[in-house]
Amino acid sequence: MAKAHKIIGVAPGRSYHENARIILPQKVEEVWTWEPFIRDAARREELHNMRISIKRLRYTMELFHVAYRNSGQPLAGRMERGTDGASIFQSSFLPVPSRKPKAESQYTKFLAVIVDLQEILGDVHDCDVVLDVLTGNANGAGAAVLGPGVATLIARTKETRKADYETFLRKWEHLSTRGFKQKLLSFLRNSE
Amino acid sequence: MQSEKIISTHDIKEPGVKRISPDETLETCARRIIVSYFQQMMSYKEGTKDGTDIEFVHDMRVTSRRLRAAMDNFADCFREKPFKKHYKKIKAITRTMGAVRDLDVLIARFQREVDTLSKIEQADIHGLIAHLRNEREKARKPMLALFTELEATDFETKFLAFFVGAVCNPDTER
Repeated sequence: MAKAHKIIGVAPGRSYHENARIILPQKVEEVWTWEPFIRDAARREELHNMRISIKRLRYTMELFHVAYRNSGQPLAGRMERGTDGASIFQSSFLPVPSRKPKAESQYTKFLAVIVDLQEILGDVHDCDVVLDVLTGNANGAGAAVLGPGVATLIARTKETRKADYETFLRKWEHLSTRGFKQKLLSFLRNSE
Repeated sequence: MQSEKIISTHDIKEPGVKRISPDETLETCARRIIVSYFQQMMSYKEGTKDGTDIEFVHDMRVTSRRLRAAMDNFADCFREKPFKKHYKKIKAITRTMGAVRDLDVLIARFQREVDTLSKIEQADIHGLIAHLRNEREKARKPMLALFTELEATDFETKFLAFFVGAVCNPDTER
């Protein structure tokens, strides 16, 4: 597992609010350092590292939620639960004026996307771990022949892993084409 | 394994976070958050040691990860050497519990899967589950040894004294 990137520019004597705007963008950038590798399904180490970086971003966003309580306008779109269980923005992410602005709604929606990405990458990783155990069991001492149950689960888990990976990549590309990273960074840096 | 996805029987919250004001200094908030997460993490220790309810391990591990995330972000608020010493202990807690939790998740997964298989197929999965249960018992030993060491060295008191007390980094800009 890759170490967390060292956070720079933190000012302990300045407000929590100000430091949120220094720390969070760096956490976002850490996630995107793994982006060049994710289009290869076999790069399991990098996919795992991206999951860990996303988890760190999630926990940091939860820590700093209070620093964005008065910021953000509702988004033009709405959060929908897709048939595959995916929470994604159906909008362009652009904040729009609203008669009934809901504080923190935009932050909450950004956070929901991060949680969703973490979960689907978690599913991919779980399959990798299960396959390690199943193949290790099958190839271990005294196991010259695959047992029928192990063989069935290996085949099933490979299929699940493939489907989960494709789901993740589809979501990622969807977010990328809509400029998710830039909008998230802009929000985290500039929201008052 | 993706332990967060399995619903815990216990309630993991954001301790301390809701009580802080964003206008307070980072170092004030950092100390409060770290102490709060630490106390929550340690509240699961006895259940984890007992080992009957696997959710205690899960909750303690997740909270240790949240604590580490906070410590990563707030490291500059504290003197480097003692901070690193405490950080390493938290990392060790996460690591030793991770080995147990991963096996808990695998056992639960194979137990679900086994019912979907034919009788012939089930036999080797039952064997695999039995093997993983043995591995779990082995994995608990380093975790329990670490807890014993932490208790013998009064880690909890020292951790709290460092983070509760006015021991922020004196070299950092105020």
